[in-house]
Amino acid sequence: MSGGGPPKKRNFKIELFKHRVELDPKYAERTWKVLEHAIHEIYNHNASGLSFEELYRSAYNMVLHKYGEKLYDGLERTMTWRLKEISKSIEAAQGGLFLEELNAKWMDHNKALQMIRDILMYMDRTYVPQSRRTPVHELGLNLWRDHIIHSPMIHSRLLDTLLDLIHRERMGEMINRGLMRSITKMLMDLGAAVYQDDFEKPFLDVTASFYSGESQEFIECCDCGNYLKKSERRLNEEMERVSHYLDAGTEAKITSVVEKEMIANHMHRLVHMENSGLVNMLVDDKYDDLARMYNLFRRVFDGLSTIRDVMTSYLRETGKQLVTDPERLKDPVEFVQRLLNEKDKHDKIINVAFGNDKTFQNALNSSFEYFINLNNRSPEFISLYVDDKLRKGLKGATEEDVEVILDKVMMLFRYLQEKDVFEKYYKQHLAKRLLSGKTVSDDAERSMIVKLKTECGYQFTSKLEGMFTDMKTSQDTMIDFYAKKSEELGDGPTLDVHILTTGSWPTQPCPPCNLPTEILAICDKFRTYYLGTHSGRRLTWQTNMGTADIKATFGKGQKHELNVSTYQMCVLMLFNSTDGLTYKDIEQDTAIPASDLKRCLQSLACVKGKNVLRKEPMSKDISEDDTFYFNDKFTSKLVKVKIGTVVAQKESEPEKQETRQRVEEDRKPQIEAAIVRIMKSRRVLDHNSIVAEVTKQLQARFMPNPVVIKKRIESLIEREFLERDKADRKLYRYLA
Amino acid sequence: MLRKGEAPGHQTPPHLHKDDGDDDDDAPSGFVKLISAEGFEFVVDKKAAMVSNTLRNMLTSPGGFSETREGEVRFPEISTPILEKICQYFYWSLHYSSGKETSEFQIEPEITLELMMAANYLDT
Repeated sequence: MSGGGPPKKRNFKIELFKHRVELDPKYAERTWKVLEHAIHEIYNHNASGLSFEELYRSAYNMVLHKYGEKLYDGLERTMTWRLKEISKSIEAAQGGLFLEELNAKWMDHNKALQMIRDILMYMDRTYVPQSRRTPVHELGLNLWRDHIIHSPMIHSRLLDTLLDLIHRERMGEMINRGLMRSITKMLMDLGAAVYQDDFEKPFLDVTASFYSGESQEFIECCDCGNYLKKSERRLNEEMERVSHYLDAGTEAKITSVVEKEMIANHMHRLVHMENSGLVNMLVDDKYDDLARMYNLFRRVFDGLSTIRDVMTSYLRETGKQLVTDPERLKDPVEFVQRLLNEKDKHDKIINVAFGNDKTFQNALNSSFEYFINLNNRSPEFISLYVDDKLRKGLKGATEEDVEVILDKVMMLFRYLQEKDVFEKYYKQHLAKRLLSGKTVSDDAERSMIVKLKTECGYQFTSKLEGMFTDMKTSQDTMIDFYAKKSEELGDGPTLDVHILTTGSWPTQPCPPCNLPTEILAICDKFRTYYLGTHSGRRLTWQTNMGTADIKATFGKGQKHELNVSTYQMCVLMLFNSTDGLTYKDIEQDTAIPASDLKRCLQSLACVKGKNVLRKEPMSKDISEDDTFYFNDKFTSKLVKVKIGTVVAQKESEPEKQETRQRVEEDRKPQIEAAIVRIMKSRRVLDHNSIVAEVTKQLQARFMPNPVVIKKRIESLIEREFLERDKADRKLYRYLA
Repeated sequence: MLRKGEAPGHQTPPHLHKDDGDDDDDAPSGFVKLISAEGFEFVVDKKAAMVSNTLRNMLTSPGGFSETREGEVRFPEISTPILEKICQYFYWSLHYSSGKETSEFQIEPEITLELMMAANYLDT
């Protein structure tokens, strides 16, 4: 008894509890007989007549009187004998009854064992630990293992029966899962080693060969999608099997076997399967199949990287075709739209089928970055796409839609390496939009600029913002001009001037053409007014950028309002005094640069429905020998006729060269500035480090060419910003 | 416990019947009858009896021993005073292990040895 008893008095003599047991030499034998009989009765399901207390007391007394060993050995002997009997009856069981019998006997044994352990508890508590013997329960399990499970007649039969049942279940038969569960549980109860050695290992081997065969069969006759479906089903079946009647620890092992046989071994063949492999799935947006592939492949080593590699090379290949296909390059808007569609398509695949896996997103991004920059016109085209959207594409679109489109464009923009080229084009396109008043929404324009600003910083957008400011100031100036000068102007043509800050706008110095006298008058008035209010400024007319609305009366007296460019206006005004002019005449009278003149004549004479001029000879192109006539027979349903210039929306080859050259020029000071910044802080640096640092500083805008960097360094040395180290020619020093 | 607020250490807890005339076989499942060498019967909560591991095994063993069936256990080697003390201890122990404040369990010196022997036997 434990607990707060009072301290025991020391003068007590410890003596044996008063069991009135004569030390009868037959005593032990007699008591054992009682217990042995009881054990047999327990195995015979006849325990109800037994008194627990009596049996317990008997065992207790035997142990107490040092007959523990006799008791233990007797127990072991009796149990062994019983188990041999049981083993015989199990062996005798026929066919399907074998497992039933085994299970039933196991249940019996278990129950008996527990009862025996209970009545021999005192022995378990005292004798067993003292003499280091196996506890009763464990002894019972060990004996069962040795005499039943490892009995030569049962051992292999048990394994075969289990494997056969599982095989039958795999082939679609129904089997008694409850029985299977009991048997595997029995094996587990006998110790994990028994379960593993006598069942699990052979089971895994058989499974491996089963699936190795089956996967071979499937891969020969199924397409990739079906194969994956079957694999998935098999995998689920095996997991279900584990949950129903195998030890939970088997799940990881069995799934890895199935994964290896069904997936890892055939991974490459599956991915590259003709007409149904990964690429086909991507092309056909097979989200389910892709998701299945992703989920199955992620289970095996290198599985996802296999998918990713194939996807990347597919993306790069198709992307490369897309950006280098000359057909596609004809329409920049379509080109960019295709890029966006591709991106959307694959974004969706990654989102839906690949669980938004970061590594796949990165693969997608790097692929896009790779192929977009393969085509050096990408910056221009992206800008053209925005231009298109902001001119007309977004008309009627809600603010959210606009944001979505602009965000997508920004995503493409991020892929660009030559961001400065984009800036250049964007500036040009923005200027055109602003000057021609074609912008759909000021908010959208500003939103785009804010996005560019957050992406690339203030410097990138300051000039773009300057353009907006100019537009606003011009408006105010014009209102003021007309308020002050309206009485002077009379009924002459109205002038709307945009005053553009040099530097903010992509203006190129171009000789002003000869304006018609009607216009010149008001132009001079405006010049006087403007220079009068702002001293120290210089005004230059950018006649290549303006537009004009003019009224014209045609042969049958019908009047049309023509919306034309400034150049076109100059040309048309010439026909007020004459009906026919040669190309040379026009060129001389207007002083419009040849390429612009040709374009403007083309749009006046060669576009059906807008041909206010007639050309001799009739042809599509303008040549220097052509003669032009006022087209009396011009008709149009519209009162207002808009004559657009035939602008090659994208730049022609020489223009492109020119732009590129300008970009290169612009890069020079930036590279120099970067070099000086770096050298100022480092003082001394070797060539390669400078190149690396400069590249790092500038790559947000463009990828500087090492050769150019070298040239800039040389130029800086010439101008004595830097010098070469006297000892080591590779080192540069900064000269303050 | 049969009654609330009862100190299990009391010398004669009122719920212990010293009554050998009660031959009712049908003890409620929540109780068990312990019978001393002299034939005195003590009806105690099963819960209390299970303080003893021996009794616990006896009462929960799956095989259907006569004790489990009849709900009574005979102890031909434990005398009435000792068994009474043991029963008191069962309740005392339950109370003690429930974490409530419990007074010391009093053991008269003259029965100490016999009580210890019984405790060993009952694995208590």
